[in-house]
Amino acid sequence: MDRYLADLGLIAPELVLTLLSLVVLVWDLVTKGRDSRQVAYLSLAGLGVVAYLLLGQWGDLAATGGKAETVAFGMVTIDAFGTFFKLFTVGSLAVVILFVLADRRERKHGIGEYYFLLLGAGIGVFFMVSTNNLLLLMLGLELLSLASYSLAGFHKSERRSAEASMKYVIFGGLSAGIMLYGISLLYGLTGTIDLNEMGIADGSGWPVGLAAQFAQDPVPVAVAIVLILAGFAYKVSVVPFHFWTPDVYEGAPTPVTTFLAVASKAAGFAVLLRFVGALFLVEGVDSTVAAYGERIGLLIAILAAVTMTLGNLSALRQTSMKRMLAYSSIAHAGYVLMGLAAMTPAGFSAAMFYLAAYYFMNLGAFGFLLYFEGVNKSEDIDALKGMGWKAPVVSIVMVAFLVSLTGLPPTVGFYGKLLLFYEGVDAGLGWLVLIAALNSVVSLFYYFRIAKALFLSEPAEREAEPQPFFTGFLALLGVGTILFGIYTEPLQNWSETGTDSLGIAEASE
Amino acid sequence: MGLGAYVAVSAALFALGVVAIIVRRNVLYVLMGIEMILNAANINFVAFSHFQGGALDGRMFAIFTIILAAAEAAVALAIVLNVFYLFDSVRPSEADLLRE
Repeated sequence: MDRYLADLGLIAPELVLTLLSLVVLVWDLVTKGRDSRQVAYLSLAGLGVVAYLLLGQWGDLAATGGKAETVAFGMVTIDAFGTFFKLFTVGSLAVVILFVLADRRERKHGIGEYYFLLLGAGIGVFFMVSTNNLLLLMLGLELLSLASYSLAGFHKSERRSAEASMKYVIFGGLSAGIMLYGISLLYGLTGTIDLNEMGIADGSGWPVGLAAQFAQDPVPVAVAIVLILAGFAYKVSVVPFHFWTPDVYEGAPTPVTTFLAVASKAAGFAVLLRFVGALFLVEGVDSTVAAYGERIGLLIAILAAVTMTLGNLSALRQTSMKRMLAYSSIAHAGYVLMGLAAMTPAGFSAAMFYLAAYYFMNLGAFGFLLYFEGVNKSEDIDALKGMGWKAPVVSIVMVAFLVSLTGLPPTVGFYGKLLLFYEGVDAGLGWLVLIAALNSVVSLFYYFRIAKALFLSEPAEREAEPQPFFTGFLALLGVGTILFGIYTEPLQNWSETGTDSLGIAEASE
Repeated sequence: MGLGAYVAVSAALFALGVVAIIVRRNVLYVLMGIEMILNAANINFVAFSHFQGGALDGRMFAIFTIILAAAEAAVALAIVLNVFYLFDSVRPSEADLLRE
């Protein structure tokens, strides 16, 4: 009995977050119709507690080399990898809630469900990034998805929002179904729903594991794994499962778009990394399985190349900044996939570093978008013309985010890309790195259209009403973007500790 | 009946679901197609679980999938209802404000 109580301590952040979401829901019902800002403040305070617990957990885990501990009969795996992503998720949830508070166009009354749904999505992320069990992974993913569908359609009377949520739910339902079917096949073939057991089992006993199946007939296993990867590809919007991304990102309320583009996508990547790592790279993996891992790596590399090229080329011809950022987020998914395609621990940790960088620069870019949506009542890049002189701080900070998104020094995005390129070359993916470098040049054009509109036009006639709180907050993110680009040590150490805790090893040649 | 029969039925159901999603122009049929895919996975889970010596993993998975399908249908129908109020149609092709 004591053991189970001690186990509960390990999932304290999850428990607090769940409790918080329920309190928020009830509080909103009780004070219905009144200012729901109180609910937002309560959510922020609760997220602060969760962050505190997670930091404590991170300290404990880092002290023991980030080793994994399992809770609830091996369903939940608490390790540094999961905690890394949970910390960033909590951070981006808090930022999104601040965005809702700062959003000029958002109603401030009776939107308590907004916070409840956001926290619910957060719970989904927490469980999906900390499990090796396909059942819990699927449930966490669906909790995130269901909350996201509702959030995308939150402006019920806006046709764009309704359309976005419908497209999202159709694509999401389809890919969840495909993924589930893949999981059912994988379960049938290997006899287990635990990823670790699948990778390690040598086929002599029960469960069968992947190795025996690959040796016998690789086709069914390959089909099952590709179906599951399709589900992840949808979540992180990788070609050919990216069709929903621009439409949903454009139609959803901007704070929700921020959440989808940042937290939801990074969580999808976290699961993808863990899935591929646990099946193909984990220490003690069978050599047959590792050999097939190489092929999966090649498949991912090709997808990465197509994804980044298509994302960047499509972003070039957008006139709406929101839609442009949607395509840019597709392109960034391609860059992160490079780290995965390398199929090495160092590649994984480069991908984690880039995701951390991605949190900073994209939260900032979407914050800028939200700021000017309030000022201009428009998402068009043309509407930004000359506004740089009217809101100098926000605009200068935005240039820092743009520099980071392009991948130029001295920003965190530059160092992240450098790591990804280095690991790509190291893993013999020189062609992919070349494509990524060319893509970065392409992305320079459309990112700097924004900077050009801001500063290289005649100062605009309109005035931007100062919003000191929002401005200061964006400036803080901007400082983070540059600071972590110069002092890369901490982020690098964190992502390495995270990767270590996955227990993956260099593939033995 | 052997395991093969169950897997065949489930594969057929999966294929029908995918075809329904691609071919039908009405959201309600698309949602039905999604349900068919989820149920195809359920048949697999239960059948595999039965033929592999009765480990409960698969059956548990099937039970959770049923709940998941219900939750997804509830959210999806609410969204479709809202679309119907705003567009007077439940055909995705007629709700096309978002495009390049």
